[in-house]
Amino acid sequence: MFAYVVRRVLATIPVMAIVALFVFSLLYIAPGDPAAVIAGDQATPQDVERIRASLGLDRPFLVRFGEWVWNILRGDMGVSIFTNLPVTTMIQQRIEPTLSLMILTLCLAVSIAVPMGVVAAWKQGSWIDRAVMGFAVLGFSVPVFVVGYVLAYIFALELDWLPVQGYTKFEEGFFPWLENLILPAIALGGVYIALIARITRATMLEVLQQDYIRTARAKGAGQTSILFLHALKNAAVPIVTVIGIGIALLIGGAVVTESVFAIPGLGRLTVDAILRRDYPVIQGVVLLFSFVYVLVNLLIDLLYTLFDPRIRY
Amino acid sequence: MAEPLLVVENLQTHFRTPDGINRAVDGVSFHVNAGETVAIVGESGCGKSVTSMSILRLIPEPPGKIAGSIRFQGRDLLKLSEPEMRSIRGNDISMIFQEPMTSLNPVLNIGRQIGETLRLHQGLSAREAEAKAVEMLKLVGIPEPGRRVREYPHQLSGGMRQRVMIAIALACNPKLLIADEPTTALDVTIQAQILELMRDLKRTVGAAIVLITHDLGVVAEVAERVVVMYAGKKVEEAPVVELFNTPRHPYTQGLLGSMPKLGSSLTGTETRLAEIPGLVPSLKQKIPGCVFASRCPHATDFCVKVAPALEPKAPGHVAACHYALKEGAIAA
Repeated sequence: MFAYVVRRVLATIPVMAIVALFVFSLLYIAPGDPAAVIAGDQATPQDVERIRASLGLDRPFLVRFGEWVWNILRGDMGVSIFTNLPVTTMIQQRIEPTLSLMILTLCLAVSIAVPMGVVAAWKQGSWIDRAVMGFAVLGFSVPVFVVGYVLAYIFALELDWLPVQGYTKFEEGFFPWLENLILPAIALGGVYIALIARITRATMLEVLQQDYIRTARAKGAGQTSILFLHALKNAAVPIVTVIGIGIALLIGGAVVTESVFAIPGLGRLTVDAILRRDYPVIQGVVLLFSFVYVLVNLLIDLLYTLFDPRIRY
Repeated sequence: MAEPLLVVENLQTHFRTPDGINRAVDGVSFHVNAGETVAIVGESGCGKSVTSMSILRLIPEPPGKIAGSIRFQGRDLLKLSEPEMRSIRGNDISMIFQEPMTSLNPVLNIGRQIGETLRLHQGLSAREAEAKAVEMLKLVGIPEPGRRVREYPHQLSGGMRQRVMIAIALACNPKLLIADEPTTALDVTIQAQILELMRDLKRTVGAAIVLITHDLGVVAEVAERVVVMYAGKKVEEAPVVELFNTPRHPYTQGLLGSMPKLGSSLTGTETRLAEIPGLVPSLKQKIPGCVFASRCPHATDFCVKVAPALEPKAPGHVAACHYALKEGAIAA
């Protein structure tokens, strides 16, 4: 088991290297010349050349890539072209709201979607099942920003129960934090809930047909124990996989959600950086998101062994 | 005389299907005395498994529907609430299934699965249940029970898993054990071991057994009384020796005739195995006459029109056949 963990962690290194290479080449692939942007409209070609040299853009690709990776490993992601602040500082300032939003959405979605899927599978064909499946279709088809604006309109503007937008730091208290994040989390969680509920239902339907479920019934086990212990543990591997894959959805959705609810997070930072062609920031944020995604999938691989003893490494 | 442990009367288990009602079990009655082993035999699809599942009410309702009465220790199981039924399952009546490879939960360890019934029905703590599980594993002849109790089903062989199933079934000292084809999926040598084990445990635990099987060899080995089922109906019932010596129903005779005899090729008496021509009729139409008429070598027009009643042929021996009634025993 320990050897497996070590091997699995080591295997993430080449993945991250490829991600880094891709992120770094963004600068070349993307249209527009950052040096020209910085220099402004009035600049002469000499000015642009000077700025390019000062940014190091005139040196060979691999040299710059090596230098860039080396700096990142030392915790230096470069300096923003626009604000002149170190990228790491900018990310540090913005990371809490995004992380809060994603974790809250994850917890909310899993704790709603899994029981929903389980009950739908148990009551297959009933109105509960149909309601869950209907909700899933709705969750898939309505975009985050529509849900976001509708929720904000109803609960913030009309009912005045929750703030319309903004973010309160966690250290200022759990409830103020939650008040600001609950609507964004619900808006962001819609697709995620739909995805997890559907896969839970499908997997549970299959598991509930198995002989060992009949055995559990014959032993006198209650319905709750049959569903949530005997069946759900067997259904866990596909469900956990989808939860992991869905993190990518959350990252993408967070960018939109933060714009709708004016949350000063990494999503907004990314959008702003893209609009300003602030490459060091774009690279930093994309690299961070990729790293989180790789890390989550590593965690999920390790979780498999916890749910299914047949998975051995 | 006190009432038997289990009395099944006019059991009817029907399934609603898109193309009509499937009468999987249609009016079956039998009883099991305390400590007795009763075998239910018949071909695949004759309703023997559905009968056993109906006793524990493990048939999903709907589409299933169980009618009649199943009295266990004087209580009609069909009238109990679901929680009352749960307190009987795995406690007073427990069950062993045909497929040891798939009947154990792959993601829970053996100790937990044996301990589950103990925790449910006897209120043991997790630690007590595991200690008792180790004891049960020792009882069913699993070596190194202390280590095995922490293992998972995939780490055990088929025979071992069936031993674990037996350990689960016997953990709460049930009064009745229903074994649905407990040896069918196992190697012959393992079959013998499991049968031996069941016989031993029956002596020590004193549970009555309902053995569902299509293997007459197994029946001869362990049963005291035999119920023969065909197309959802009981066609014959007799003490085991009597059934093997003087089968009254043509179907029973067919079953016995289709049994291979060991060594017959060596003694030069090798004959072709008798087979029963045709298939079990569809259970979706009501058959007015004898259910076996379409495959019976002795069937007459009368058999097709009028269903034979179960008639006593000898003490403890009943059969449902006009022919057997008129002519006495049919020469096998």
